[in-house]
Amino acid sequence: MKQKRNIIGNLLSLPAFMLILFVMILPVGYAIYYSLLDCDYMKITGFVGLENYKEFFASDLMMQTLFRTFVLSFCSLIISLLIGLLLALWIHGSKGPFAFALQIVGLIPWVTSMVVAALLWQWILQTDTGLLNYLISRIGLDKIVILNDKRNAFIALTIVMAWRCVGYAMVQILAGLKSIPRDYEEAAEVDGCGKFQVFRYIRMPLLKTPLLLSAIIITLSNFNNLTVPQVLTNGGPGNATRVLSLAMYQEGFQFYRFGFSSTIACIMFVINLLLVISYVKAVKYEV
Amino acid sequence: MRYNTHYEDRKKTIGHHINLGIFVLLCIVNLTPFVWGLITSLKTEREVLQYPPKFLFFTPSLEHYITIFENNFFHSVLVTLGYSACAIVIGVTFGLMAAYAMKRYNFFGKKALFFAILCGIPLSIGSAAMVIPNYVYFSTVGLIDRWYTLVIINMAYHMPMCTWIIMSGIEGIPIEIEESMALDGASKPYIIFRMIPSLCSPSIASAALFIFIGTWNEYVSASVIVNSNAYRPIQVSIYNYLGFFGREWGPLTAAATAAVLPSLIIFAILGKYLISGLTQGAVKG
Repeated sequence: MKQKRNIIGNLLSLPAFMLILFVMILPVGYAIYYSLLDCDYMKITGFVGLENYKEFFASDLMMQTLFRTFVLSFCSLIISLLIGLLLALWIHGSKGPFAFALQIVGLIPWVTSMVVAALLWQWILQTDTGLLNYLISRIGLDKIVILNDKRNAFIALTIVMAWRCVGYAMVQILAGLKSIPRDYEEAAEVDGCGKFQVFRYIRMPLLKTPLLLSAIIITLSNFNNLTVPQVLTNGGPGNATRVLSLAMYQEGFQFYRFGFSSTIACIMFVINLLLVISYVKAVKYEV
Repeated sequence: MRYNTHYEDRKKTIGHHINLGIFVLLCIVNLTPFVWGLITSLKTEREVLQYPPKFLFFTPSLEHYITIFENNFFHSVLVTLGYSACAIVIGVTFGLMAAYAMKRYNFFGKKALFFAILCGIPLSIGSAAMVIPNYVYFSTVGLIDRWYTLVIINMAYHMPMCTWIIMSGIEGIPIEIEESMALDGASKPYIIFRMIPSLCSPSIASAALFIFIGTWNEYVSASVIVNSNAYRPIQVSIYNYLGFFGREWGPLTAAATAAVLPSLIIFAILGKYLISGLTQGAVKG
């Protein structure tokens, strides 16, 4: 059914469109413009072309930060997807209020504020007074330095970020599982498939889209996560947990180098855009 | 036969125990930070740093809560509630209008808008990368440190998701109902703003919940867009306490607990709408 074009549609969708334009599209244009400028303390001192980008890609510090951000996003993605998948497969068998309670509990880290969660994790991970070290010493092991040790701080950050996303992955994958018609699995069982074979040849291929979609969303969320690194470790010790979003924030609001900071924002935006495009491709939606 | 059922029963009980075990483990992993924060916040200052820590038999006290309430905590709560209320009312209205237009009309730029909404869902998840662009742009147009800027930003971040959820709600309403209502003399505004919301109220609730949780938890852009005390939302206040109280974990955990409690309660009550909204976004493809 092809309807005639109607101006009322435009009028009705105008406010939403304006908001998206005003907050999510125009600022990016501005950031691209600023990334070509030499701009300290919000004062534009000159047009430098691609100098900022050259500085970014020539700087070892920035390259390390970029690499670190990728490693962090990837590791926590794998952890949360894997645990989320296992939990989803497990819940799928149980029914009723129990399964619902599990989803609610699982989603709590995703819906609570990252500032609060990171703050409370910091309290648990304190070396001398933290809960974790207390438990470790109770089972007879030596205390470990967590947030003040480069390697351990990075691991802790990875785990906290994974912790946040497990529930989201679980809920998405569970919804995917529910949308698989029961007949397929029954048919496979009648044909003599074991549990693992049902999983491998029936569920896995049909779960590809939900897995991919939640992987993209979680990657986006981790890659752009500024709050958790800032509150948990603030980049320290040294530069061990300084991720790209934190570098962008610090260049801007600590060193007031808005030109360079916009450059980092643009580079992040390009990476985000690649993820968004793959999301749109994966959703396969039609108007 | 009898042996068989007996065996099955035992298998069932073992399975039941394992289920319960995993559930308890999940609760421990997911809730420990909050429970431990709550316990710490109720201790006296001396007991907070006591080692080994006491889990249950400490002297309960509200001193840390009093401390944070003396430090403008309540003001931040009110400010954030105000932001959320504005963002929910205006955001859901705009989302409803856009969703209705997307589902019931054909108009110039429909494809572009659809694409913007679809891209906007993942893009707004990574909205922290927008903090510099937003700051640069809003300071150019002079919207820094205004009471309405955060409302606008939060609304815009959640507009794609909100529209999307309401769109799938409207999809479930047969167009015949609308047609017969129109024949009975219902005006278009009445249909859009009264009838549609009452027919897809779960979607409306879910969209509102998304905006509320997003606004309540928003930290990154709030930390730079407003800088006067009067407009400071709750997450920024908590972050500032981190510098202000330093290592005093009593007030810090008290603030964290007080800030997370409202969203946890609302989530526990309305959680099913959030789950349905989350899964509507993705798994149809």
